[in-house]
Amino acid sequence: MFKNMKTLKTLLKYLGKARYLVALSLLFALVTVALTLYIPVLTGQAVDLALGKGDVDISGIGFILIKISACAILLALFQWLLSVVNNRLSFDTARDVRIAAFKKIGRLKVKTIDSRPVGDTLSRVITDIDHLSDGVLMGLTQVFTGVITIVATLVFMVSMNGWIALAVVIVTPLSFVVSGFVARRTYSMFRAQAGERSEITRIVDETIGGMRTVQAFSREKDMVESFDAANERLKKCSLRAIFFSSITNPSTRFVNSVVYALVAVCGSLMSVFGVGALSIGDLTCFLSYASQYTKPFNEISSVVAEFQNALACAARVFEFIDGEELEKEDAGQADLTKVEGRVEFKNLSFSYDPKKPLIENLNLTALPGQKIAIVGPTGCGKTTLINLLMRFYEPDEGEILIDGISATDYTRSDLRSLFGMVLQDTWLRAGTVMENIKYANPVATDDMAIEAAKQARAHGFITRLPNGYDTVLTEDGGGLSQGQKQLLCIARVMLRDPKMLILDEATSSIDTRTEMRIQDAFARLMAGRTSFVVAHRLSTIRTADKIVAMKDGKIMEIGTHEELIKKNGFYHDLYMSQYR
Amino acid sequence: MLIKLIRYMRGYGKESVLGPLFKLLEATFELFVPLVIASMIDKGIRLENTAHIWKMGGVLLLLGVVGLAFSITAQYFAARAAVGTSAEIRRTLFERTTRLSAQQLDKNGVAGLTQRLTGDVDQVQNGINLTLRLLLRSPFVVFGAMVMAFFVDAGSAWIFAVAIPILGAVVFGVMAWSLPLFKRAQKAMDLAMGITRENLTGARVIRAFGRENEENERFTNQAEALSDRKRRAGHVSALTGPLTCVVVNLALAALIYTGALRVEGGVISQGELVALVNYMSQILVELIKFANLIVSITKAMACFNRVQSVIELDENAPGDENGRVSFGESDTVVKFESVTFTYPGAGAPSIKDVSFEAKKGETVGIVGPTGSGKSTIAQLITRFYDATEGKISMYGKDVTALSSKDIRRRTGVVEQKTLLFSGTISENIRWGKTDADEGEITSALQNAQGLDIVKAKAEGLEAPVGQGGRALSGGQRQRVAIARALIRKPEILILDDSASALDFATDARLRAAIRNMQGESTVFIISQRASSVRHADKILVMEEGCVKAMGTHDQLMDESDLYREIYFSQFPEGEAYV
Repeated sequence: MFKNMKTLKTLLKYLGKARYLVALSLLFALVTVALTLYIPVLTGQAVDLALGKGDVDISGIGFILIKISACAILLALFQWLLSVVNNRLSFDTARDVRIAAFKKIGRLKVKTIDSRPVGDTLSRVITDIDHLSDGVLMGLTQVFTGVITIVATLVFMVSMNGWIALAVVIVTPLSFVVSGFVARRTYSMFRAQAGERSEITRIVDETIGGMRTVQAFSREKDMVESFDAANERLKKCSLRAIFFSSITNPSTRFVNSVVYALVAVCGSLMSVFGVGALSIGDLTCFLSYASQYTKPFNEISSVVAEFQNALACAARVFEFIDGEELEKEDAGQADLTKVEGRVEFKNLSFSYDPKKPLIENLNLTALPGQKIAIVGPTGCGKTTLINLLMRFYEPDEGEILIDGISATDYTRSDLRSLFGMVLQDTWLRAGTVMENIKYANPVATDDMAIEAAKQARAHGFITRLPNGYDTVLTEDGGGLSQGQKQLLCIARVMLRDPKMLILDEATSSIDTRTEMRIQDAFARLMAGRTSFVVAHRLSTIRTADKIVAMKDGKIMEIGTHEELIKKNGFYHDLYMSQYR
Repeated sequence: MLIKLIRYMRGYGKESVLGPLFKLLEATFELFVPLVIASMIDKGIRLENTAHIWKMGGVLLLLGVVGLAFSITAQYFAARAAVGTSAEIRRTLFERTTRLSAQQLDKNGVAGLTQRLTGDVDQVQNGINLTLRLLLRSPFVVFGAMVMAFFVDAGSAWIFAVAIPILGAVVFGVMAWSLPLFKRAQKAMDLAMGITRENLTGARVIRAFGRENEENERFTNQAEALSDRKRRAGHVSALTGPLTCVVVNLALAALIYTGALRVEGGVISQGELVALVNYMSQILVELIKFANLIVSITKAMACFNRVQSVIELDENAPGDENGRVSFGESDTVVKFESVTFTYPGAGAPSIKDVSFEAKKGETVGIVGPTGSGKSTIAQLITRFYDATEGKISMYGKDVTALSSKDIRRRTGVVEQKTLLFSGTISENIRWGKTDADEGEITSALQNAQGLDIVKAKAEGLEAPVGQGGRALSGGQRQRVAIARALIRKPEILILDDSASALDFATDARLRAAIRNMQGESTVFIISQRASSVRHADKILVMEEGCVKAMGTHDQLMDESDLYREIYFSQFPEGEAYV
């Protein structure tokens, strides 16, 4: 329950931003309720003017009926305005929460992103917030209206007949007892349901994302089986949660019936014994109040059920938003325009898993303008060095110095702005080819982008696409081959004009002939810039100023190509193996 | 659409009937309440009969208790049917997505399909649950109230008969108006999901380029559009309540006026007038519930439409449909005859007029520049797509007559972009051969040069690989994927640039291991590296979708300028045989 309160508090903070809407909502609710309650009073008055045969005041009734009609029209107007305000309130708040959740993604540690299933985060940012807006916000607004109705009805009833009002007041809290009882028991069920849901999302995301592989290995049946198992579990959880929460409504309605009977009996008896001068019209009005008065209790209680579900979802969303993130940084101290590009790795140690040390006490210096090639067998820590250089991960010990200043003294974004990076894992966003090329440098002109594409040897295939540079790529560049995607990534970085360059297997999927042609462009791009090149293809790195041969996180040899070949050691063997 | 939905409910026929039935029984009892009150007024208050008042009070309580019992029973059946049906829909949809063709997958997108399977189905479940609980109940109470009103006084009950059709028109009119608006809102939701997904998968690139702010802005705009569309749909659907409220209250005024005249004329009593008024208020209460229900149902129907549109996608895309010829005995395993293929929606063909054949046990190398159509050949062999023109045959039979399932069973593919699935290393390798024992797995891994991966892990073969294989490095993933393909000892092995994340030494050992493997696999090696295809029996040199030259390494070195150029780009002359 304590955790619930925390979630609710956070939510109220978001609602606070729309304070004027809350005020309007309350005002409109007040008017709506007052009119809703006034109509039965008028009806009661009209009934009292129709006592029996020959004893009916037709003109009096006519006047009352005009009042009823006017009230009905006003009521409808305010009801609609109330919905409009509430819609605004709930969708605006959902939007704010969603934007906050999304911005959080940008502040997460790369480590967190790497370790968390994509489907889980998706389900929090999209589905859970939807449930939140449907359940919590709509719920809250219904609770507003409900509470106002209850209070106003009480006032009306007490002013008409205190005794019956008292009877009603004593019995109705039973509704709360019942719904509170159910709610307490169902929260954990809804939480379990949300958990199973995110498991389903995970399976779905993985399977659909890898459908080609699934189909190539004819594993459709097995995927369906594991999905079925999760689906079955979700079904069980959902049935429990939905059924138990749906008991609330009939139970509170039963309490209503009791109240209704009570009012009918008390009212009739008082009318018979002449206590409190209760007319039949008053009784009609009371009866209609009895159901008016209990209806909000029903609504509140049925909302409570939905609320539990929504709150469980909200808790997951806020948990995500409040989760661990990158520490805040002060403004960078270094002057970026004067960076020359001297990079030093000093006594660097790092491991992804504390039990398995990867990089230990590594030292390496790159002078401004040098081309540093990092080679070594798969899994030797080449990419890890890049992760550390870009501060996607932070070293466990030691530091990285850029122009003698610790990398941590730059802001992350300042540091990254110094680099142009092409990774083996190509990522393109949904959008046109042109948008993708300009991604690294949004102020570039179309001509500049086309020139970059030409240098990256991507111009040819782009013009063969259905709409050339305006061809819309789907998520992750679907439809392009891996090599074409890499060419686009290279064009992207060519447009950026960075101080330093990182090429991590940047050409692994590009044929060597095209690669040779790009090399000219790379050579021009790298001229005067410190560059780090990771490659398997050793022929592409022979011209490096310094080749760093790594194995198991340690530097085995450092030197130029000729020096290392002459040494006839680790690098020599690595280099020669490609000709076998 | 409704009929289609009912088909999913078949397994829950009993629940789907009993749920509404118990609801109706409950509603019936509710309809008696105004009559009881009327009797209380006319016989109790008017005749000052307190015993009668107590008796009627008891009846009211009894109606409440019976209503409670019936209602809880109804909730149970409704929940069972809703949850069961939506599980069935989810299952069917998931099963269908696993059979989508490559182009259908491209078109619908991962984010869209995920949303179909999660959020949309949830909405459908909610819709079914509410429908079973309330959809029949509300009209029943409305019509029941009218019938009872006729029973009380036919002379004033005509007002009910006029008001109810108007109410129906209002409810359905608003629904028809808002349905397309909800659909638009849902589309905006899909887009928001797509952006979120992209930002998770592309976190490194986005940060490297410092584009976090622009991404935030892009999402903010989308979130803006989403809330905008939702709001608009909400405003329209919120009309139901106020409009019905006006109609009912005007009808109430008319009823009181007519009723008062009838009381004046002595046709009905005051108690009966009260009963008529009560019936009208019951209609109002029910309609408010109904209006809320309609909103949920509208949403649920929009979602169900979206789900169903995926399920009903054309099945005749390259598939495993009917009959199917069995494989022939021919020695020519794969044969392309003037094959041209254009990706759906693409402007130009990816491969043009490609002809070649591969015999049993042969190794065919395919080299060429990026985007020259190499991978397309692999996609066509495994029948992810069918040729636009020309003919592809396997063992002498046209592939379009063979089932793609059978083709894939005989094929082992290692793709450019390696994908592993949550589970252990051994589970992933067993994808290739479900009943493989540990010995087979180890030897497949050995051939794939991946034994060291297992040795480095404390759990060995049972080490988890994480979603998409995240716990492994790129090269490790690739080798596990190769082992996965090798373990099935496929008749056709396709290595689609699958050594790109391997260093040269490992690549060379891998190719040697494949050469030495037992069995008569026909191997296709698609690569950028001349060294990878150099020993192939036949090398296809491709450029811009066409086969420019074909032959052995030695022949091509003599005859093909293009091949020589590719070769020397990797092995500079003079240094080639250091």
